[in-house]
Amino acid sequence: MNLLFKLQSIDRRILYVLIAVVLAVPLLKRPSKHPDNVFPEVRNAYNVIDSVPKGKIVLLSCSWGAGTKAENEPQLDALMRHMFQKHIKFVVFSWDAAGSEITYQSAKRIQDDMHAKYGVDWAHLGYKTGATNAIISGMGENFQKVMGQDRFGVKLSKLPAVSFVKNYKQIGAVVDITSVSLMGYWISYLTTPKNIPLIYCPTAVMSAGAYQYLDSGQLRGMLNGVMGAVQYETLIGRGHARTDAAATSWALSAAHIFIILLIVLGNLGYLAAKRAGIHTGGPRVG
Amino acid sequence: MHSLNYIPLALASGRYSSLILLAYILGALVIGIAFLAGLMATPPRYRKIVVMLVTFAGGLYFSLEFLLPHNPIYIGKYMIPGSRGVANLANGLTAAKPSVADWAMIIGSFALLLGVSNLFQIHGKAVRKKTPGWYNSLAFFITFFLIMIVGFLKDYKLGFLGSHNAAAFQAGSGNLYNILFNGFVQSLDATMFSLIAFYIVSAAYRAFRVKSAEAALMMGTAGVIMLGLVPVGAWLTNWLPHTGFFASMRLEQITYWLLIWPNMAVQRAIDFGLGIGALAMSLRIWLSLERGSFFDRQL
Repeated sequence: MNLLFKLQSIDRRILYVLIAVVLAVPLLKRPSKHPDNVFPEVRNAYNVIDSVPKGKIVLLSCSWGAGTKAENEPQLDALMRHMFQKHIKFVVFSWDAAGSEITYQSAKRIQDDMHAKYGVDWAHLGYKTGATNAIISGMGENFQKVMGQDRFGVKLSKLPAVSFVKNYKQIGAVVDITSVSLMGYWISYLTTPKNIPLIYCPTAVMSAGAYQYLDSGQLRGMLNGVMGAVQYETLIGRGHARTDAAATSWALSAAHIFIILLIVLGNLGYLAAKRAGIHTGGPRVG
Repeated sequence: MHSLNYIPLALASGRYSSLILLAYILGALVIGIAFLAGLMATPPRYRKIVVMLVTFAGGLYFSLEFLLPHNPIYIGKYMIPGSRGVANLANGLTAAKPSVADWAMIIGSFALLLGVSNLFQIHGKAVRKKTPGWYNSLAFFITFFLIMIVGFLKDYKLGFLGSHNAAAFQAGSGNLYNILFNGFVQSLDATMFSLIAFYIVSAAYRAFRVKSAEAALMMGTAGVIMLGLVPVGAWLTNWLPHTGFFASMRLEQITYWLLIWPNMAVQRAIDFGLGIGALAMSLRIWLSLERGSFFDRQL
């Protein structure tokens, strides 16, 4: 009984060390096992990209940074590899300066790994700042004018990957890889009015709020956090590769089990104290 | 990596284009300063009216562009009089969208400058007056200029150093930039976010107590969803068949059902409420009816 009662007051420093170990082990071991099951929204996202017609590009809008890199970078990785495999031209752009640099570094690494050519297979358009709705609706009407040049100052008309894109008619799909959710802007100002498929790639905590858009068809697919990315990797034939997504997904699994175990232990202690008639107002949080 | 002499394209092409660009920049500066001076010279009670009119015009553009029909309206064979003119107006507004986007980006860039100016004022004051923690403000200035200068130098060859030295200098700047950006900025940003993991563990352990039936239901649902979304969850119920009645007992299937039925229904209801609230608030802001720190103060 004493032990159970003590279980609800473990020193938080011990918890911090334990969670650090629980997360570190899978990240260091990097297991290659990918999940066998694939959620329908991930499969739909795959099908959308797979069926982008020739003569159209995919827009990858990236609004993430180093804080959510663990979730968003694997999504970018999986999608880029799929598009390189299928020879689908695409552009990546960001909505802030730091994001532009981070996404370019990530994309370049994937480009080099897939032996793709910058400017021919893909392009990075730097970042745009300002009223998001105006920029999104403007690029749908005149892509070359609004986007102007890539991150190196080269005019888009000089890049084979994107020189043919005039307006929304040459956009085959939009992918929103985000930690701040610009989905509402894309839906309102480009993808729904112009009937362009939108794939949503949020962090896992944001994905629960997107299912109504999937149901209404305003979103055609979704990669929910790193789990969506690892399932997407299964679909593109990387189901046995040692990837960051796979390692992170196992770290996430371990962390979830650890947290559930802690909650159970805490509640066992609480029940034991309650049975013993000891009033526990509840310890302070944190 | 592209090593680039970063020169604006207009300067790089054409003999007189640099002069034309300079003329544009100076002209824009003169007009901007004149406009600002005019605004400051306006009596305060009229300044608010100018701001309200600009706000209204901005909102009106997007409203009209969205709401007005883009094609003439016919009843049978007969076109409603005036609908062609309305359609022409709507199409004109749509054609102006790229220019509006340009303006939006310019204003957004000014907002960046404004933010930087504000930071300089706050931290400059702290350093001047040596308020407690002033050294943090000094660190802000050092790191701001360091990464700005190194960021420019990594993309710009200093021609006066000579070709060989300029290339070496640029490479060195690039390495320093990588240390600062990847080593400091990215690592620190990721660290700040990672602290959340520790706080969540501590909070979950200490605060999540099953004190009622509702709490038990919430806890159970949370546990199912947490496990169902990760590989371990699928592994736990992997012994169940993939098809048939018992397939629906698999953890990932239960998780998916929870997400697409009760969760979706509730999220939809919340979104409707938020949407109506946002509509009301947007209308108030558009019509400058909202009272707050800006509207009540004299400009």
